[in-house]
Amino acid sequence: MVLAVPVVETADLKKTYILGKVPVNALQGVNLKVEKGDFIAILGPSGSGKSTLLNMIGALDKPTEGKVRIEGADVSTLNDNQLADLRRSIGFVFQFFNLIPRLDAKGNVELTLSIAGLDKNERRKRAEELLETVGLKERMNHKPAELSGGERQRVAIARALANNPRFLLMDEPTGNIDSKTAKEIMVLVKQLNKDKGVTIIMITHDQQLATQANRIVKMLDGTIIKEIDQL
Amino acid sequence: MKVGDVFSYAFGAIRLRKLRAGLTTLGVVIGIAAIVALLAISQGLQATITDQLQSGFATDTLIVSPGGGLFSGVGGGFGGSGSDFSLVVTDAQIIDEIEGVVTSAAIIQEIGYVKSGDRVVASLAVGVDFGVYSEIYGGTFVAETGEIPLNSGNDTVVVGKRISDPWKNGTIVCSVDDDVEIVWTNTTVRPPKNETQLVTVAAVLEEVGGLSLTGPSDSAVYLPISQAQRFFGTDECDRIVVKLASEDDATIEAVSEAIEDAFSGQVTVTSATAVLDIISSVFSTIELFLAGIAAISLLVAGVGIMNIMIVSLMERTREIGILKALGMKSRTVLAIFISEAMIIGLLGAIFGIGLGWLLANIAARVFTGGGFAATTGQRATQGGFVINPVLTPTVLLGAFGFGIAVSVIFAIYPAWRASKLKPVDALRYE
Repeated sequence: MVLAVPVVETADLKKTYILGKVPVNALQGVNLKVEKGDFIAILGPSGSGKSTLLNMIGALDKPTEGKVRIEGADVSTLNDNQLADLRRSIGFVFQFFNLIPRLDAKGNVELTLSIAGLDKNERRKRAEELLETVGLKERMNHKPAELSGGERQRVAIARALANNPRFLLMDEPTGNIDSKTAKEIMVLVKQLNKDKGVTIIMITHDQQLATQANRIVKMLDGTIIKEIDQL
Repeated sequence: MKVGDVFSYAFGAIRLRKLRAGLTTLGVVIGIAAIVALLAISQGLQATITDQLQSGFATDTLIVSPGGGLFSGVGGGFGGSGSDFSLVVTDAQIIDEIEGVVTSAAIIQEIGYVKSGDRVVASLAVGVDFGVYSEIYGGTFVAETGEIPLNSGNDTVVVGKRISDPWKNGTIVCSVDDDVEIVWTNTTVRPPKNETQLVTVAAVLEEVGGLSLTGPSDSAVYLPISQAQRFFGTDECDRIVVKLASEDDATIEAVSEAIEDAFSGQVTVTSATAVLDIISSVFSTIELFLAGIAAISLLVAGVGIMNIMIVSLMERTREIGILKALGMKSRTVLAIFISEAMIIGLLGAIFGIGLGWLLANIAARVFTGGGFAATTGQRATQGGFVINPVLTPTVLLGAFGFGIAVSVIFAIYPAWRASKLKPVDALRYE
């Protein structure tokens, strides 16, 4: 049996920040492997290093020690342009949505495609399809300020999916929306994983939410303390 | 990201902050408008002066003046001659002998005024041989009313248009056959004394136009040369105007040298072409100076752009973080910020050129005759010349390019800083 290359693999990942003059060891040797089609929840209290880990996996930040491999490629060897190209193949969903306020829902999704260099007609068509997938067909001409938290997060998910990413990185995706809407979002996320085979790495501190994932990775003080497979 | 998309993203960002972008653009508008207006006015003025000089100032003439100073003998004397040598009236006969010379006229002049009843008009009193002078300046020394007395008695004079009608409003100070007094102040005696001569106006000249450094002037009163010699008590003349057989450069050069040789280098020979060259070079300097001053205001606008962009950079740190997380390259971020400055520069240049042109026309209207010139006699006697602002393609393109260049140059630093932001830091920025 031939083993497929993991989508994400970290090896003895360490990150030390200097806060003021005090070094903070945010990650202290993390080994994580994410296979294609996985839905992983990284669970831990604040300060456990889960956001730092997410930044490393998302190529937003560089590790102090250790390696991050994305589909086998060592992130630390990439230059600025290559990192940008890599990020384009990762779908980010943030707790605070991080939509561009002056662009409407469709514009926000189109922006990702425009960064990827698609022409206008293609991106419009694709953005409309994606917004339909996340159930926002009727609201695609509304700006973020005119959308509810749940709707904004749907736009963010549509945007993250725009470039057919290798995996979705979700940072507390329901952290800023009410519990009812959070459930709906989670239904959507599960659907994406199950029906479309999208690999998902989700950060949360919500135990309940984490149970939706196939695998729970528990973190504390910069290390993984437990991995639970649930089927 | 495609170039068109970069621009449209940049344009969207500008539109979001209309007031701020508007005020930033205003800085560029003012700078460009100042450059365009000042250059259009000064080039218009230069064109007017050159044009009038060419019409009042036959190009087939030379001016011979004593000493080394170029303008020392012209227009009543700017500064001293720097030499004891002086030309006398009969020197014209020496010049007449030189090959290539058709004729020459000695000119004696003093600053004075013309008095007619209660009215007084400042004027230049010029003594010339009417016959020779009208041969040299056949186009401008022409009577509008009356007749230029070629072989006249000593008490007849010819007056310029602005002596007859100084305020251009029909208030006639003197006309043909009127008796007027010419007064000049003799400063060679102690105490200085006003010399007065009663004369009759034989002719009023046609209007020559504003400036006439060497040829007939609207603000002069012309006396026969012999009368002037007596009246001014001197045989020394200010200058001798020479009419050449041909206006080509070779003749001008040959005759100039011959005249200088004839007076052992004690005279300066100036050609109309040389004067025009000097004026053009003076104007170039003035234009450079004015453009320099205006450019400073554009630099101030540039600093404004830089300042605004740094502020905007801080506000948009998170946006930059998002763009980078979405996979935008650093150079695309740079291009977006530069594009924003370019759009501001472009709009500033377009509106600035329009505004500058408008200001130049308003200023030209104010300076030209109409406005206050009619109420101040002195100004009017200088001759009402019309300034038509000129916008040359060089100025147009230069202003355009400069506006955009300044905007872009001052945006480079903020844009570079934006492009260098780390996505993780930018996303965390509150």
